Amino acid sequence: MTVTRRNFLKLSATTLAAGAFGGLGLSLAPTVAKAQRMNLRKGKETTTICSYCSVGCGLIVTTDEATKRAINVEGDPDHPINEGALCAKGASIYQQAENEARITKVQYRAPGSDKFEEKSWDWALTEIAKRVKAVRDETFKEKNAKDQVVNRVEGLASVGSAALDNEECWIYQAMLRSLGLTYIEHQARI
Amino acid sequence: MTNHWIDFKNSDCILIMGSNAAENHPICWKWVLKAQESGGKVIHVDPRFTRTSARSDMYVPLRSGSDIGFLGGMIKYILDNKLINKEYVDLYTNAAFLVSKDFDFKDGLFSGYDAAAKKYDKAKWAYELDENGAIKTDPTLKDPRCVFQLLKKHYSRYDVKNVVKITGTPEKQLLAVYKTYAATAAPDKAGTVLYAMGWTQHTVGVQNIRAMSIIQLLLGNMGVAGGGVNALRGESNVQGSTDQGLLFHILPGYLPTPRATQPAFEDYKKAITPVSKDPKSLNWKKNQPKYAVSLVKSMYKDVEADKGYEWLPKLDAGQDASWLTLFDKMLAGTFKGFFAWGMNPAASGANSNKTREALTKLDWMVNVNIFDNETASFWRGPGMDPAKIKTEVFVLPCCVSVEKEGSISNSGRWMQWRYAGPTPMGETKPDGDIIYELFMKIRELYQKEKGAFPDPILGLNVDDWGDGHVFDPHKVARLINGYYLKDVTVKNPDGTETVFKAGTQVAAFPALKDDGSTCSGNWLYCGSYSGPDKKDNKAAKRSTEQTPEQAKVGMFPNWSWAWPVNRRIIYNRASVDQAGKPFAPQKPVLAWDEAGKKWLIDIVDGAGNPGAIHPFIMQVHGQGALFGPGLNDGPFPEYYEPLECPVTSHPFSKQLQNPTAMTFAGEEAKRTVCDPRYPFVCTTYRVTEHWQTGVLTRWLPWLIEAEPQMFCEMSEELAKLRGIKNGEKVILDNPRGNLWAIAIVTKRFKPFQVMGNTVHVVGIPWHYGWVFPKDGGDAANLLTPSVGDPNTGIPETKAFMVNVKKA
Amino acid sequence: MKGKTFFIDLTKCTACRGCQIACKQWKKLPAEKTRNMGSHQNPQDLSAITLKLVRFQEVEVDKTLQWLFFPEQCRHCVDPYCWEAAGGDSQDAIVHDKETGAVLFTKKTAELDYDMIRGACPFDIPRMDEATKVISKCDMCNDRVQNGLKPACVQTCPTGTMNFGDREDMLKLAEEGLAKAKVKYPKAMLVNVKEVRVIFLAPFDPKLYHKTMMAEAGPQMFTRQSLFAQLFKPARAMFT
Repeated sequence: MTVTRRNFLKLSATTLAAGAFGGLGLSLAPTVAKAQRMNLRKGKETTTICSYCSVGCGLIVTTDEATKRAINVEGDPDHPINEGALCAKGASIYQQAENEARITKVQYRAPGSDKFEEKSWDWALTEIAKRVKAVRDETFKEKNAKDQVVNRVEGLASVGSAALDNEECWIYQAMLRSLGLTYIEHQARI
Repeated sequence: MTNHWIDFKNSDCILIMGSNAAENHPICWKWVLKAQESGGKVIHVDPRFTRTSARSDMYVPLRSGSDIGFLGGMIKYILDNKLINKEYVDLYTNAAFLVSKDFDFKDGLFSGYDAAAKKYDKAKWAYELDENGAIKTDPTLKDPRCVFQLLKKHYSRYDVKNVVKITGTPEKQLLAVYKTYAATAAPDKAGTVLYAMGWTQHTVGVQNIRAMSIIQLLLGNMGVAGGGVNALRGESNVQGSTDQGLLFHILPGYLPTPRATQPAFEDYKKAITPVSKDPKSLNWKKNQPKYAVSLVKSMYKDVEADKGYEWLPKLDAGQDASWLTLFDKMLAGTFKGFFAWGMNPAASGANSNKTREALTKLDWMVNVNIFDNETASFWRGPGMDPAKIKTEVFVLPCCVSVEKEGSISNSGRWMQWRYAGPTPMGETKPDGDIIYELFMKIRELYQKEKGAFPDPILGLNVDDWGDGHVFDPHKVARLINGYYLKDVTVKNPDGTETVFKAGTQVAAFPALKDDGSTCSGNWLYCGSYSGPDKKDNKAAKRSTEQTPEQAKVGMFPNWSWAWPVNRRIIYNRASVDQAGKPFAPQKPVLAWDEAGKKWLIDIVDGAGNPGAIHPFIMQVHGQGALFGPGLNDGPFPEYYEPLECPVTSHPFSKQLQNPTAMTFAGEEAKRTVCDPRYPFVCTTYRVTEHWQTGVLTRWLPWLIEAEPQMFCEMSEELAKLRGIKNGEKVILDNPRGNLWAIAIVTKRFKPFQVMGNTVHVVGIPWHYGWVFPKDGGDAANLLTPSVGDPNTGIPETKAFMVNVKKA
Repeated sequence: MKGKTFFIDLTKCTACRGCQIACKQWKKLPAEKTRNMGSHQNPQDLSAITLKLVRFQEVEVDKTLQWLFFPEQCRHCVDPYCWEAAGGDSQDAIVHDKETGAVLFTKKTAELDYDMIRGACPFDIPRMDEATKVISKCDMCNDRVQNGLKPACVQTCPTGTMNFGDREDMLKLAEEGLAKAKVKYPKAMLVNVKEVRVIFLAPFDPKLYHKTMMAEAGPQMFTRQSLFAQLFKPARAMFT
């Protein structure tokens, strides 16, 4: 998961070679009156909304049909708010997706360990589920000090997330509340 | 936002205060500029000259944390010079309400203060009622106990001389802002305010916004095109995540979380049903029980709603479980397990050293993220010895937004659908799948092994989450909208009957029931997915079609969908007079079609003919609240200094700071007031090129190229004082922490003259962290205090004290 | 004279740097290793991999603070000096597209004398890649333009600062923009309007933005006849 500065710069350079979308060809005729006609790389276009601030700008993502990776991301000219425009962050969304520094495998750090280890999803989710159950069973409180029914778990807390879609937020809160969590917070508080 | 982004173009005066709109919401400038091109004025009030100031008509400096002085002065200016929009104030505000004799204000404190508990008894701020329980009023606004007179009295202390003394704003500029903004009181003019964390991140955060709301009501700027109170929210779906109740105090749709004092659903329903004796008050919140029952049924559709309610966890009465309290408890060892889902609290919350230490007290933590960050890797951070840290860490890789499908809600309440482009990279997954799979595993364990109170886990309606394995955002969106659980027969106005079969989507929230026959995951979103097919998903609508009147104000009602019920401007009834005639006929939001007996342009707030109801339907009494008795720190905003400040007194009262501010035991010694060791006010902010703690921007080569390192902006005067040259490394420190930054010595920061002394303000961005890049710096929040607003608990990270010296 | 032209209205620029990044995004240009040098501007200069750069300047004009933003790029001169310097029609390292007016550097620029080419530019734009010796600069997003799209920097601009179209339309827009700007900024001007295809509307003296924002438009500068006399003397030297 560690990305060194050297890798980082290399990453940028690889991106250039692998993903060149435009750029000039080499073989121009000796006395050109007109630059060589260039075809743009084609792909599947999908619309999305920018993941950064809350203006809600529309984007068009072009995805290579073979690699299923993004080859271009730019503003959606039909979108009434941004009319095709994007700021520095919005214009960089391509690099959020096509980025070698992304975590692409489950990582686990054992107590007292000085490193992460790669794990499988199944292992991680099974282990987390076991731990959730253990803490919940141990710290579940049916009644508070005043003998009022509270049906809550005291040993678990959650923060997050405005980075989730509405539908994900909803099932997340449903999961947490069914488990009995009351310490549920996220970005809106800070 | 009460209004929406495109609506900025309709404004005659845009006040940007507590925000840096051009830098942090850059695309909105398209619409700010349109207002400017039509003759509107743009005013930026800020401690620092920014890219927003560079394009504004007026830039006006103000010391960080002194906003209520500035705004209180504006209220006084408007009242003294009789500049209010009289018709609007008479018709649509609570100016005429009489306030009980128990209400008082003395020496900076309102009546009812309990010094030991640091709390007010809000019952002392009630309205005066007649024998039938209705609020007494004085329509002449002359009664000394009426809201209008109390308002006048309260702000009589906020004269220009005192405001200038405390804010450091030059008098000429202050008066120019007051004059320009107050001109929007003309019935056909509109003024708007764009604010952000520059107003909320203070121990008087809510009152900053209240003060501006009072101004907006006095000037008749609510509900109109180009007006409103507009929070520029910081994240693409922080509006939606709030709407969906991911906070300790609210369930989806802003329904309060149940308390231990409400053991039965009936107790809860009673508590959420406000009562108004005014027949013209629609009092929309009286419908909340229907929404609560429908919400419980969306979670627990197979049991009676009463049972489902009992399954919900309850907080103790008065218990706070907000962010700062959460990490305080974590430090005390209360929690064994912790989820930091799509967040980086080790850098994002106030007082990072406290947060980072708190993480060491956990048995285990789950961090779901796209890139490595200071939370996932806290155990190998500065000053940490991994061998001594027991916390197990699970880092689950989620995919990025362009790789998944679902909806997000922008600041203007537009719910917009996103489609998947590339497939999730490597083994990354959409968050929805991770939640779904994890919950199914937990559920399986409870099915097999039982355990503590398994009913709510086993009874949770997961049928609507996916196909048993894969999360389905469409299914969940339909559940959030809601559907009929039983066949329901509805009588139409013409006497005919319509039967809604079980399983049919509910058309809109007025159709939701409290008898268990409907479910809806969030009443505010009821109407967003009104049929069974993907074509019924209104968030995905992409038509720019609109009537010429809608086009005039840029309403775009057929592009996506806005809550509530696709209303684009909230409280729009306040934009018309009692006959339904728009106050601003050149840019109407609503107009009454007398012949057709219907409202045109926007979806009207509430039902009925012109003049039938008061416009502020979410207020119990339907009127705009000049007097707001619901807040924890007073019904009128009052001037208080930040909890760390450069003065020992201010001109408005003897009460230096907010007496109800949220604080934590044992931390006072780390806070400083007028301490020569920490002489400078520090404020935090963002830049265009980064976002929040930088987890989603620091790793992007193009963005880190543009803003590579932690910096500290300071005036030329301060730099000279401390012998600091532009581009040199400096150290900022205070008793909570220290960090290095590159000095940006700039003309854009100027010293302030405050209470006869020179006060320097410095500013730092909060985008950096030790994980990456290695030469980027660390979190600004290492310096910020864990103190908060008494209403929201939002930490005061916009004004605190530091020292700055050459590294 | 037909072809395409940019009109860049600096009265509207907020320095959001969408253009700077959109340029890199479209061309998939790598990032440079930068440091904060006491300014928000980064990278510090144009390079073979930074073809569009927003420059920041803080100045006081008539005792009022102005923060000036200058989204710099190749001006695509009507009569391009770099192209003439390379040998005009007799070579194909630098191509002057007669249809759009775009000045295009090919990989064959590696064979050119970098100092001469950079020196010939009145705006000091061309930059050489040290490893490949290829000289680079903005290509007017020729690939996009040929396919009916706007250049990436124009498409992404939120405020209407960046405009692109047929020359006559842009000239008209520039004149209208100037008239509007004059109300607030009496000294506003269109920079080298006749000589370039990237016309800046500068509300303040161009020298305040950057030393090479405006070419000192003496008659010697923009006539072909005088070109070869100039070639041996780097045009950069003429800026003070």
